[in-house]
Order: sequence, then structure tokens, then C-alpha cells
Amino acid sequence: MATTARPPAERVIAVRDLHVAFGANQVLRGFDLDLYRGENVMVLGKSGSGKSVLIKCIVRLLRPDAGRVEVLGQDVLALDQDQLDHLRVRIGFLFQSSALYDSMTVQENLEFPLRRHWLATARQETEALVDEVLDAVGLAHTRAMYPSELSGGMKRRIGLARTLILKPEIVLYDEPTTGLDPITGREIVELILKLQRQYNTSSIIISHDLNVAKLAANRIALLHEGRNRVEGSYADFLASDDPVVKEFFIFM
Amino acid sequence: MAERNGFHALAVEAGELSMFAGRFFRNAFHRRFEWRELLRQAAINGSGSLPLVGITAFIMGLVLTVQSRPTLARFGAESMLPAMVAISVVREIAPVITALICAGKIGSSMGAELGSMKVTEQIDAMEVSGTNPFRYLAVTRIWSTTLMLPVLVVLADAIAIWASWVGVNIRDTVSWPLFYRQVFDSLEYGDILPAFAKSYFFGFAIGVVGCYKGFTTAKGTEGVGRSAHSAVVVASLLIFFLDLIAVQITDLLGLT
Repeated sequence: MATTARPPAERVIAVRDLHVAFGANQVLRGFDLDLYRGENVMVLGKSGSGKSVLIKCIVRLLRPDAGRVEVLGQDVLALDQDQLDHLRVRIGFLFQSSALYDSMTVQENLEFPLRRHWLATARQETEALVDEVLDAVGLAHTRAMYPSELSGGMKRRIGLARTLILKPEIVLYDEPTTGLDPITGREIVELILKLQRQYNTSSIIISHDLNVAKLAANRIALLHEGRNRVEGSYADFLASDDPVVKEFFIFM
Repeated sequence: MAERNGFHALAVEAGELSMFAGRFFRNAFHRRFEWRELLRQAAINGSGSLPLVGITAFIMGLVLTVQSRPTLARFGAESMLPAMVAISVVREIAPVITALICAGKIGSSMGAELGSMKVTEQIDAMEVSGTNPFRYLAVTRIWSTTLMLPVLVVLADAIAIWASWVGVNIRDTVSWPLFYRQVFDSLEYGDILPAFAKSYFFGFAIGVVGCYKGFTTAKGTEGVGRSAHSAVVVASLLIFFLDLIAVQITDLLGLT
């Protein structure tokens, strides 16, 4: 496995030898990845290469066929449902489609993760948290709106706000800029970086958007044919001789 | 995947549906119960279906009365009309018609709602936020249909019997108290209780099938349509099968 020189930091996610297949289609074939506290790792890969599958395995939305997933020192695959729920609160997940509950207003969407939890907060505290995350994404005026009234970029921001309301230590982003125009995409990346500093999170960003790679990633891992083919900084990738890496950067 | 014929697919589907129902029972009495969502669902599924169920029950009661009258009149047994209508409505027509209407209305809306939540990752989002979507979405919905269907059936009984009185009064004049007494003289607990009991099962079938179809939706928007439609088909068929089983049981118990 490729390792880059870095200051000793706490490892928050360790993925080892991950195998996932759907029928005859082997998507992941021994993927390895580490995430250290405070760092942004981007997983780059073509569509259908299994990037989303990877982060779904990390929160156990999918069960891998083989391999190990360790998050915050816990073996994700060995946890029972209650332990898993407790761990999942510490991990945020931003869905590609934003996945806002469309039968609820923005406010109810944001309250949802709080309300249905044993961390059940007092009414006033809930209000304050909703205010705080809405301010953080700059959409305080949408409080009473339904998701269908929001634009794509706004939905992504509210999705981000909903992810952050539980103050996760790790955030997993599934294609945060896909489907947005380049300007809105850039705004979302900047917002992610701002919130990252504000909330001090570590994150894995799944994307094929090289702007994300350039702006947000401390380290990039290239997912190719089910494995972690190369790891390195954006500069390393630009300078790389690897034909698969070059293929990605050819349009730059 | 050796054989992919119709029977194989049917067996797989039946197995998965049973497992889904089993999962409901494992979660049905969980201590973290979503009461608010249950009440919301009961209101939507119960009072939301009432107008449709009411209109249908009224028409069924009236039509049954008007159409049976000539036959009974031929035997000079017109006085049996209230008893005959009451028994057929209470035993069979109200439970089955109500259940079928609810299968159409509630089953399809569950299949479509949960299906679109599934394909837009809303169910996954619930899961990763630490909420059990099965308990929040499925358990509450299945409970709500199971509990609300018998209530709707009783209301349908009442409306259909009243409609029957209206039907009698198109030609004759029968006072409501007399009609009412004739109806209740003819009905026995053996008519009412089995019908009441089976409507719980009908309600359960509608909820389980609707949620199962919603939760197993795949392939985007096309899949949502398919889930909604197959929820109705499967739930309706299941209602008839349950009815068939119920009649055998009541027959064996000598309640007929």
C-alpha cells in the first residue's frame, strides 16, 4: 500500500482488503485506504468503479464480501445494530442526491437526526442547532420551505447542514459536486472546506471532479479495477507517469 | 439462479415477503417505538380512506338490496331482506370490499412513497443518521393498516346497512327502528367476530405488501411505478387467499 510521509496522527478509518461483488461483477477487489484525523482524502475513479460502494461499506449500508473496515477504532462489520447506530452518529454522510426527506420542511429535515435520537436534545437546543447549521450554509431563509422548492445547489447545502447537525467527526461525501454547474460546484467545495475547519472533521470525498481534487484534497487515492492503484498529492498526480492517472488529467 | 421461471420467481417472492413479515414481528414491540409516526400514519390511512370506503359501502348496500328484492319477492320473503343483506354485508362484502379498496389506495401509495424514498436514497439517509428506517417507516405503517382496517370495516358495515334501509324505502316504507331490529336479530357473534378477525389480517397484508414493495424498489423511477402497481396486485390477491383460508377455518369451527 502506498504511504505518504505525514505527521503522526490518529487513524480514524482503516479499510483493508475490501471485496465487494454484485453477482458476477467484482466491484472492489482488495481495496485498502487509511484516513487520518483532520485530513481530506479524495477517492478518484471512473463512474461505476465502485467509489460509492466503498463509502457505503464504511457505514455498513452495504456489507462487503470480505475485508475489514475499522472506524474510530471499532470494527464496523462486527458491531450489533445499537452499537452501529451509535457509531453512525459520529459519521456524516452526504448523499449524491442530497436525499432530503421530501415530505418534510427544511427545518424538519434538519431536526430529524436530532429528534430520533437518544441524544435527544431540548427544544431550545434543537432550535439553536438548526439556526447554527442553517447559518453555516447560508440558507437561513429556507427554514419553512420544502425540498422541492430548492435548487440543486441549495439542496446540496441543506444536505450538508443535515449531515453536520450531529457534529460528526468524519464526513463521507458522495460526489458532492456532481450535477451542479462549475460555479455552484466550486461554492460547494469552498463550503465543505470552510465547514471542515469550523467543525474540525476528517473526510473522504468520492468524486471524479478534478476541481475537487485540486481545491480540497490533501491526498488522492485512485480507485482502478477494484484496487487502490496510486496514492499521492495533487502535485504527485499531475507529475505521474502512470497511464491510468494520465488518462484522468489529459483534459486539464 | 438455476431456474428463472415464473414459479421460481413466485416462490422467491413469497419467501422474501414472509421474511419481511417476520422482521416486522421482531421489531413490532420494540421499546423505541415511533408513536408520533404511527398516529400520523393511522390518520392518513384511516381517515384518508374513509370517504372512498364510505361511498363504496353505501352503493354496495343499496345495490345489493335493490337487486335481491325481486328474487326474495318471488318467494314472498321480502321480510327477509334486512337479514339477508346484513349477513352478506357483515360476513363478506364489507370486509373484502374495504380491504380491496385499501389495497388499491393505501398499498399503491405506500409502494410509491417508500419506493421513491428508496431510489432517492432517503431510506439510506435515515439509516446512516442512526434511525432505523424499518422501525420508523415500515413498522408504523404496518401497525396503522392492521389497526385501522377493522375500524373501517365496522364503519363500512354500518353505512352499508343504513344504505340498505334507504334501498328498501325506495319502494316500501320501513321505519329505521324496525329495520335496525331485524338486522340485529339476524346477526350473531358467529357472523361478526370472524369477519372482524379477518379484517386485521387483511390490514396486515396490505401494510406488509406495501412496505415490502417500497423497501425493495430498484431501478429508479420505473421501479417506483412497478412497486406501486405490484403492491396493489399482490395485496389484492393475498386478501382473497386470506379470505379463502378464513372461510375454511370458520367452517371447521362450525361458525357458518
